Amino acid sequence: MRPPFRWGRGRELSASWFAFFMNVPTLAFLGVVLAYPIGYAVYLSLHRVRLADLRRGVFAFAGWENYSRVLGDPLFWVAVKNTLIFTAVTVSSEIVLAVAIALLINQAGIWTSRITRSLILLPYAIPPIANGLIWTFLYSFQFGFLNRILLSTGLIHERINWAGNPDTALYAVAVPYVWRTLPFAIILVHAALQGIPRELYEQASVDGARAWHRFRHITLPMLRQILAVILVLRTAFAFSVFEEILAITQGGPGDATWVSAWYSYKITFAPPNNFGMGSASAFILALMVGLMAVVYMRTVYRRVTL
Amino acid sequence: MTIDRRSMNRRQMMTGAAGLGLAGAARPAFAQAAGPWGEAPKSKVDKLNFVVWTYGDIYTQISKRFQADWGVPVESTISSFNDHPTKLATMYAAGEKIDVSQSSPFSFPNFVNQGLAEPLDDLPGAKEYAADFTAFTKQVAMVDGKLMGLPYFATAWVWNYYSDMLEKLKIDKPFATYEELIEHCVKAKKDGVSRYPILWIAGVGLEQLPGTWYQMTWNKGGTFFDKQGNHMLGDGSIARETLKWWANTFEKGLDIADPESLKVQFTSGAKAFGAGKNLYRGPNHHYGLNICNDPAQSPIAGKVKVHGSPNGGKTIADAHVYFLCTANRNKEWAWKLLQYLGGKTKDGVYTQANTLAKDAMLGSGYQSVMNSNVIKTGWAPWGDVPAILDIWGKSTYIGEVCSSIYQPWHFPWTDQMNIEVQKCLTGQITADACCDNLIKGIAEAKRKV
Repeated sequence: MRPPFRWGRGRELSASWFAFFMNVPTLAFLGVVLAYPIGYAVYLSLHRVRLADLRRGVFAFAGWENYSRVLGDPLFWVAVKNTLIFTAVTVSSEIVLAVAIALLINQAGIWTSRITRSLILLPYAIPPIANGLIWTFLYSFQFGFLNRILLSTGLIHERINWAGNPDTALYAVAVPYVWRTLPFAIILVHAALQGIPRELYEQASVDGARAWHRFRHITLPMLRQILAVILVLRTAFAFSVFEEILAITQGGPGDATWVSAWYSYKITFAPPNNFGMGSASAFILALMVGLMAVVYMRTVYRRVTL
Repeated sequence: MTIDRRSMNRRQMMTGAAGLGLAGAARPAFAQAAGPWGEAPKSKVDKLNFVVWTYGDIYTQISKRFQADWGVPVESTISSFNDHPTKLATMYAAGEKIDVSQSSPFSFPNFVNQGLAEPLDDLPGAKEYAADFTAFTKQVAMVDGKLMGLPYFATAWVWNYYSDMLEKLKIDKPFATYEELIEHCVKAKKDGVSRYPILWIAGVGLEQLPGTWYQMTWNKGGTFFDKQGNHMLGDGSIARETLKWWANTFEKGLDIADPESLKVQFTSGAKAFGAGKNLYRGPNHHYGLNICNDPAQSPIAGKVKVHGSPNGGKTIADAHVYFLCTANRNKEWAWKLLQYLGGKTKDGVYTQANTLAKDAMLGSGYQSVMNSNVIKTGWAPWGDVPAILDIWGKSTYIGEVCSSIYQPWHFPWTDQMNIEVQKCLTGQITADACCDNLIKGIAEAKRKV
């Protein structure tokens, strides 16, 4: 039996109270940096807020008006659809690629994997907006490196307007996004791989299990937990993609790359600066992310932890 | 020290003028130096600031000049052109001090409407500035009869062509009609001289894609709204027919338009044209020539010529402005700083306007600057100045073509215009559907305000 915690001389504090006090600083910090802005955004979303109102701090109550305007705007739903496609494409690509690359760099016998391991973090260090600008040059229709390489290697016979074609633009944004964020997932998967006991593989090999079976029955189950974490985190981040959109397509061509965060940004910060409506759209986005997180936690994560 | 130096100069000048019998000739110069721009405000201020979008190092220069002249340091917040309204809005909303800022003609009605801009009428020298405004500048800077800003620069929409390519095609002069424009482009493509002979400036923005459509519609005799504010986008309207014609130059039609057209802005468009792959570029700001014809930036420098539009050369123009922000720390001093950006410096000279004309080929919002040698000599390295000024003379303010510019809902409607027109140009919807959607979008944009 655990001895009760002693607070000062002769005074005792139960374990639950101790846990509570230990969590207070974190709760206070999260309250200030997270809960307050979210609460304030909700407050703004229920008011008519223009630039001068925000400076004065006096707003007229609008009820659900901003929400009904957002939900009644066809462009908002286009943005939601694009966001869902973007999230599905990027998160699934990241998970598949992260596992594949982590397995490769986990091969201790291959000396180049050590170099790759150290270089793999580089894209993650590039600011998102710079990443977008670099890829803008790569995608340039007439002068971009991508078309030039593909043409010179004979993989394509005519230039492709990667970021300017409505059929390819969203994927053209997804590629640089995945390129930038993939290292994060690789590092997590790689760390999880390091924690899998070698003996399991050795025993499986003795039993005659081939590489695919070892991956299927040992590696993958042992990775599920970290994959669930990656799924939740990357979904939340992909839902709020913004910088690559700003740098590469600015929502175009047409509405092909209007995503939810871009919608909120335009409504809020472009004249006539409707902060109330912008806050409502951002809060709807936050609710969607929250909902996805709950779904993941109730399905993938729970199944894993059980 | 400064005052001593000025009085010395005056004395020397007056003595010299009297000696030479040139007092009459010297009077204008003397009058300039003696104006309100040369007088220090009575109040004190520790520092001033401005929030602007980037353009070379003009703001570093003007800040240094201001501090040297008045001993007041100037802080600057500089962002990109596209990010500027956001930067300004967030600073203003956050309660920060902003003495002077700037605006495109498209954002300005919103800034005025939301109370960001201070009226200038009663400030010393303001009436003299207004009297020297060009017609475009008046239409932007005067709001409901009040002076709300001073000009940053003005520009007219022109065409550019690559002269070597035209020679190679054995075409002796650029197009005089839209039919000829198509003929030249089709020939250039057929002869293998240019895969995509025409580079439109149709990237997402306020002046790029919409500006191109405004210009061609205006040139063909149309507008987007009538005098009563009713849209002019219905069946058979000139704007709609122009869009049909324009869309036909893209992939799903004649396929003569460079696909990069849908991404380029005014500056990036000029840089792309400088690569020498296209025959025509436009219609867009006249000062793109200072990129296309700059040897440091363009392999075809010197071979890009300016060209007017068909139908007698009708084109559009606009002016951007600086304004005194209501969030200023000291109105007298903020006005002083505003004049350094959009008016006269202490010596009574339009220093910034002259510098912009010489260094960046920008037009001025002041008639006296436009009529001066600064323009004639300053623009000469990049283009045919008389030709540009001739085009300038045939230009009309963009607000006459699309009067919604004066309305707060113009901005969200322009967002929709960018979307719908790009969809049309990429063949996703027809020009008719595009215009129908834009007509419906007017009401929707009004609801967003």
